Amino acid sequence: MSVADPTADALPVEPKQDVVPTIGAPVGGGGWKSHLGSLLFLLPGALWLLIIVVYPFIATIVRSLFDGSGTRFIALGNYKAIFSTTDIIVSLKNNVVWVVVFPFLVTFFGLVFAVLTERIRWGTAFKTIVFMPLVFSATAAGLTWASIFFNDPHTGVVNAAVQGVANGVNPPGLYPVDTSAGESVGALAATGVESGPGGTLQSKSTVTAGGTIELGLTGISPAVLQTNHATTAQVPSSSSGAITGLVWRDFSPSHPTARGQVFPDEDGIAGMHVALLSADGSVGATTTTASDGSFSFAGVGSSIYRIQITANNFQAGFNGIFFLGTQSLTPTGSLNPTLQAVLSLPIVDIAMIIAYLWIWAGFAMVVIGAGLAALNREVLEAAQIDGASEWQTLRRVTVPMLRPVLVVVFVTMLINVLKIFDIILNMATPSSQSGASTIALDIYNNFASNNGQGLAAALAVILFILVVPAMLMNLKRIRG
Amino acid sequence: MAGVVLDDLTKRYDGGALAVNKLNIDIKDGEFICFVGPSGCGKTTALRMIAGLETITSGEVRIGDRVVNNLPPRDRDIAMVFQSYALYPHMSVRDNMAFGLQLRKTPKADIDRAVEAAAKILDLERFLDRKPGQLSGGQRQRVALGRAIVREPSVFLMDEPLSNLDAKLRVQTRAEIARIHTRLEATMIYVTHDQVEAMTMGDRIAVINEGVLQQVGTPKELYEAPLNRFVAGFIGSPSMNFIDLKVSNEGGVVTLKGEGSELQPDPTLSALLRDSGLDIVTVGFRPEHLEVGALAGPGLNVTVTLDVIEFLGNDVLIHGSSGGQDVVAIVDVDNVLKVGDSVVLSAAPRRLHVFNPVSLARMIGTG
Amino acid sequence: MSVVQAASLPVAKPAPTRRTRFRPSRLVINVVLAAIAIFWLVPAIGIAIISLRPESAFEQSGWWTVFTAPAQLTFSNYKTLFSAGFQAGGVLDSLTTSLAITIPVTILVTVISSITAYSLVFGRWRGRTVVFLLIVAMLVLPLQMALIPVASLYNFIGDTTGVKIFGTVIGVIIFHVAFGLPFGIFLMRNFYTGIPHDLLEAGRIDGAGEWTLFRKVVMPLGLPAAASLAIFQFIWVWNDLLVALVFLANNTHQTLTLFLYGQTRFLSSNYWIISTGAMISIVVPLIVFFAFQRYFVRGVLAGAVK
Repeated sequence: MSVADPTADALPVEPKQDVVPTIGAPVGGGGWKSHLGSLLFLLPGALWLLIIVVYPFIATIVRSLFDGSGTRFIALGNYKAIFSTTDIIVSLKNNVVWVVVFPFLVTFFGLVFAVLTERIRWGTAFKTIVFMPLVFSATAAGLTWASIFFNDPHTGVVNAAVQGVANGVNPPGLYPVDTSAGESVGALAATGVESGPGGTLQSKSTVTAGGTIELGLTGISPAVLQTNHATTAQVPSSSSGAITGLVWRDFSPSHPTARGQVFPDEDGIAGMHVALLSADGSVGATTTTASDGSFSFAGVGSSIYRIQITANNFQAGFNGIFFLGTQSLTPTGSLNPTLQAVLSLPIVDIAMIIAYLWIWAGFAMVVIGAGLAALNREVLEAAQIDGASEWQTLRRVTVPMLRPVLVVVFVTMLINVLKIFDIILNMATPSSQSGASTIALDIYNNFASNNGQGLAAALAVILFILVVPAMLMNLKRIRG
Repeated sequence: MAGVVLDDLTKRYDGGALAVNKLNIDIKDGEFICFVGPSGCGKTTALRMIAGLETITSGEVRIGDRVVNNLPPRDRDIAMVFQSYALYPHMSVRDNMAFGLQLRKTPKADIDRAVEAAAKILDLERFLDRKPGQLSGGQRQRVALGRAIVREPSVFLMDEPLSNLDAKLRVQTRAEIARIHTRLEATMIYVTHDQVEAMTMGDRIAVINEGVLQQVGTPKELYEAPLNRFVAGFIGSPSMNFIDLKVSNEGGVVTLKGEGSELQPDPTLSALLRDSGLDIVTVGFRPEHLEVGALAGPGLNVTVTLDVIEFLGNDVLIHGSSGGQDVVAIVDVDNVLKVGDSVVLSAAPRRLHVFNPVSLARMIGTG
Repeated sequence: MSVVQAASLPVAKPAPTRRTRFRPSRLVINVVLAAIAIFWLVPAIGIAIISLRPESAFEQSGWWTVFTAPAQLTFSNYKTLFSAGFQAGGVLDSLTTSLAITIPVTILVTVISSITAYSLVFGRWRGRTVVFLLIVAMLVLPLQMALIPVASLYNFIGDTTGVKIFGTVIGVIIFHVAFGLPFGIFLMRNFYTGIPHDLLEAGRIDGAGEWTLFRKVVMPLGLPAAASLAIFQFIWVWNDLLVALVFLANNTHQTLTLFLYGQTRFLSSNYWIISTGAMISIVVPLIVFFAFQRYFVRGVLAGAVK
C-alpha cells in the first residue's frame, strides 16, 4: 500500500498491518536515546488523556454511588431512582425509539442513495447536496427543521403543504367553526334558529310558499363579515309561490342586549348556504344568501319546510398539525402514567428523526458508496453471466457483500444516536422538552441542577454501559 | 456446444481509441482456442464482447447460428472464468456453483446433481460447505471452474484464469482445464498473455496486437511459419533474434551482410531477394536453432562476443552482441565458453526467417 | 469540483448491454434523485430566505412566497445582529469566541495526535498494542462520563490556585482536546502504519534522532491525513453545543452554538433573527467544507468508528 495513495484511508478501514507489535527493537541504530525519544512523544497525549478522560471515567463511576451532594454513599440508590422516576423512564423510552428507528433508516437510505447515484451522471453533485448538512451544527439544523415544522400553515412549509391538500379535499366554509378549539356550531344560534343534525342549524319554525322567515345568528366577528362583503341586513319582501328569508347577525351595537329584531345597524350574513328542509328530514333545493343576508326559494310548491343552514358553511379549515409536540402516535391515552411513559410515541420524536436523517444520510451514503466502489467488479459481472437481473444481483450479491460496511455505518449511527442531545434542545418546543428528552439531556439537566450530580453520574454510567457492546465490537474488529 | 464466429468485430471507446479492430476469427465447435498477445492488445476486450460485458461498436458475434450482439450475457449460453475467480464471498462453494441454476429456477434435485458432479470432477467434494475465504487460490480457481461447468454452457470463456496462481499450481491447473476440455468436448476461448500457456493448451492460437489479429493457427504453424515479425517475436521463449542485414548484389551473387554477420542465401532466398529490390532485410532466427561453429555453405554466420552465460542443465543459454545487436542462443553444454569469448554461431537456411523491414511481413521461412 | 471523488474510488461503468431495457428505469432514477435533491435543499433554502425577510413578512406569509415577491428580500436582520458589533453576547463576539476555541483545539489535537501516533507505530517500547487498544476503547466513550469530575477538577484548581478554568475558554479547549485525541490518534496511527519502517531504519542508521525522523520523514508523508483530521476536528468543535453549555454557559463570551441556542430558548418566536444567527454560524463550516471537501470526506470516512 503506497503512502501516496489517496484512497489509502478512504475506507473505514482497520490498519492494514496486524496489530501485534514487534516486541524488541527493529534492527538499526538508536538505542536508549531513541527509546526515550519515542516515549517522550507519548507523554503529552498520554497525560492529557489520563487526566481528562481516564481519571474522570473512574471518578464518575465512583460518584454515581454517592448521593446528590456527594457525601453519602448510597450504592445503587441512584440507579434504583432512575428506573423508578417516570421522567427518566420517558427519556429511556425516547432513546429506545431513536435507537430502534434511526440507525436502520439512515443505513437504508444511505444504501439506496449509494446504489442509485452510481447510475446517474451527476452523482457527485447529488452527493454534495445530500452530504452538506453534516456541516451544519445539530443546533442550527434543529432550529432549521423547527421552522419547517411550524404549526401555523402560514409559516410552516409542511403544514402549508398539508393544508393545501386537506383544504382541497375538504374546503373550508366562509364561517369556520373550530370544534377542536372548543367552539360549536350550536353556539351560533340566536333568534329563531336551533341546532340541527350533522353540524347544521335549522329554523325553529316552519314556513310555506309566500312566507318569509328570519334567522338570527351571533358569534360571528365583524371582520369575517367584512371579508365576505356583508352589507346591512334587509328583510326581503314576500313573494307568492316562493319562500324568502334573511340570515342576519343579531347583534346591534346600539341595542346590544336586544334580540329578535332586525335593527338598521345590524348586518346581513352574506354567502351563507341555506337549504329547504322537509318534514321528513330530507334536504331539497339550496341557495346562497346575498350580501344583505337575504335569500329566496322560488316555486316551492305547497309543502311545509324548515330552513337549514348547511354544515359546509362551518367547515373549519386545516389548522396545522403540531409536529413538534408530544402527542403520541400510539394509542396510549387510557393507560396508567408509567405505561404511558413507556409505550407512547411522541410525534416530535418522528419529526426530529426526520431532521437527523437529513443531516446523517449523506454520511451513510458516502461510506457505503466507498464500500460499493471497492467491490470486485468481476463478482458482479459473474452474477450477470450467471443470469441475475439487476435487482437479483443487488439483493443476492451486492448487498450481502456490503454487509461489513453496512454494519459499520449502523453501529456508528447507533452510538451517535445514543448520545442525542443538541437537536432535541433546539427543535422540540419548550413544552415538549420533557416529553422528548433523552438520557444525554437528563444527564445535562441533572448536572446543572443543585443536587443532581449523583443522578447525572449514574445516568452517564448507564450511557456508557449501553455503548460497551459497540466498543467491544470495535476492539474485536481491530484485533481480528 | 457451439462454434463462435467473430465477424469484423470492432470496439471503439469514446475518444476514438480502437481497442479491437475488425477481428475475424472462426472458432469451431469443441475447439480450444487461445487469444494471446501483450497487455492491452484487446484480447480481453474481445472476450468480454463475446460475453456481453462490453458493447460492440461494429461487427458481429455469432454463437452457434445466433447473432448475440444485443443479447445480455445471461441469454448467450456462456460461462466465464475470471482472473480473480470472482467467487461470491458470502456464499458457500455449493451455493456459488448452484447460483446460476437457482436463478433459472432449476429444480433442486437437478441442481444438487449438477453440483455434485462438478465437484467430483474438480475434487471439491470436501469443500462444498466452505466459503471462498477459507480456500486456497488453487481451490478457488477450481470452484470458479466448477461454477462454469455446472451451467453446461455452449461456450466457456476464460480470462487469464491462471495468472494469480503460483508456478506449480499453474502447471497443475493447466492440466485440469485440458482434462475438462477433453471430457466435456466444450468450446473454450482462453485469453492469456503468456505464450507458453497458449502454446501448450490451445488447439489453435489467435495472436492479437493493438487490437488487430496477427495470425491464427496451430501452435506448430505459429512456431514454424509466423506470418509477420510480431508473431515471430512473440511466440517462442526465449524469443527469436532479429538482426538487420544489408542486401549486396555483386554480379548476380546475393549476400546479406551485417557488422559481424553474414548470410549466404540458398537459391530460393536469393531469387526472392533479387526480385524484391530491397536494400535491407530483417533476418530472424531462434536461439535454439543456433549452433557453435561456422557454416561453410549457405546459412547464417554470426560472430558474437559473449557477455552472459547461463547454465541450464542440458544446455547453455548465452547472451552476446554482434555488431551492436543483441543475440541470444541456446547451445549444447559441451561447448567450452567463457565470458568475453568471441564465437561464431550459425543457423541453417531452413531455420531462417526473413522479414520485409517496412511491412514486417515474412518473406520466407520454414513453412 | 470533485467532492467525494477521492472517497469513492473510480466508479466502474455500469453494465453496458441491454440498452433498450435500461432507458426507462434510468429516467425514473434521475427523476427520483432530482426530487430527493430538491427535498434536501429545501430546509437550507428555507432558513436562508427566512433570514432575508423582515419581521413583518415573516408573520404574514411563508418563506416560499418569496419567489413571487422577491422585492421583500432584505439584509435588515443581518444588520440588526451585526449592529451589536463585537459586544459580548453578540453574534460577532460569539464568532470570535468560537474561533478562539476551535483553532487552538484543532492545532493541539492534530499535533499531539501525530506525535502520539508516531510513538505507537515507530516507537520501540513494549505495550504499544495495549495502549492502542485503550485508545480504540476510548473512541466511543461518551463525554458525559467526564463532565462532572472535570468540572470539579476545574473548580478545585480555581479554588486552590486562583487560576480560573471553569467557565473559561481555556476549560473548554482542554476538554475538547482530550476528547478529540482518541479519534485523532486512531486516524494518524492507521495512516502511519502504511509508512514503511525501512524509511526510518535508514534514517536511524544514518544517526537521526526521533524528533528529526518525525519532522523530516513521518510528518511530511502524513500531511494528507493530518489535514483530514484538522478539518474534521475543526467542524466538530465548531458545531459543539454540550461542552460549551457545560463549561461556558455563564461566561460573557459565548460560542456561536451557545448564542444560537440562547436565541432559540429566549426569543423562541423571533425566527427572522434566529435564522439569521443560524446562517452566520453555518458560514464558516461551509467555507471550510467547500475549500477542503476531499479532506473532510476522508476524515468522515475514517471517523466511521467515532
